Amino acid sequence: MNNDRMSNNSMSDVSTLTNIDAALHELLDRPWLCIVWDDPVNLMSYVVFVFQKLFGFSKEKAHELMLLVHNEGRAVVATGSREEMERHVQKLHEHGLWATLQRDDKI
Amino acid sequence: MSKFERSGEAFSLDLTVDEAHILINLVEQLLELLGEGDFFHHYDMNDPFAQLMSLQQEVVAPDDPVLLRLLPNAYNDPEAAGDFRRYTEPAIRSSKQRVLREIRTHLAILVDEDKAGTVADLQADTWLMALNDLRLALSVRLEINEDSFDLFESLPDEDPQKSIYAVYYWLGWLQENLLALL
Repeated sequence: MNNDRMSNNSMSDVSTLTNIDAALHELLDRPWLCIVWDDPVNLMSYVVFVFQKLFGFSKEKAHELMLLVHNEGRAVVATGSREEMERHVQKLHEHGLWATLQRDDKI
Repeated sequence: MSKFERSGEAFSLDLTVDEAHILINLVEQLLELLGEGDFFHHYDMNDPFAQLMSLQQEVVAPDDPVLLRLLPNAYNDPEAAGDFRRYTEPAIRSSKQRVLREIRTHLAILVDEDKAGTVADLQADTWLMALNDLRLALSVRLEINEDSFDLFESLPDEDPQKSIYAVYYWLGWLQENLLALL
């Protein structure tokens, strides 16, 4: 009896630990998002220029992203670590774009 | 008509004295606003000592809506936004002040000589960033939205707001002009 219970306990401990481990991994792997918001002031051509300058995008890619911001009201322009996204947001603010960062909320 | 010109990698700008005066006025107002209440604004933020000192200052979200547009919150969460502001706002302010001071130097040449002329050897990036911040600042005061252009056109010429709108749209035209040369 005792042995059985012990073995049950350790079984469930292992599976609990595995679950926690998986949850932690999922949490840690969730990237941070750098988001640019639409505003009625920044010129479309200026936003394209800033995207090319800061992210090294081709003109086509930068233009596509600018349109996404304009049409959807916001767009994710970069994903990665929190530190990287904070640096992007800082640069975007220096250039007058309205940018925020947040954790990717899909889990 | 004033405009930017490009020759190879060098950019130049033709302005009348009146136009240079309008620009320099706006630049100085924005520099003043960016420096307001910030004791450390005249320190070089690349200097580690200045950075350390400024970190000990309480940096909070600005009350002025123009400053809040130029230095927006980076996070929805107020605590995270506050931390980000504390660590990065001095550098962002410093960058904005640097580009504004640089274009003020160019403009001062025209204003001092009191004659229309050309400012040569401009950095396109610097001018684009400075013009953009001036437009953002005016846009907050004018409450610019998608319908503003129609409103501007419908205002009678004697309305004092109309001349501010005119400056706002002129700045956009200048910025577009420079962007087209890149």
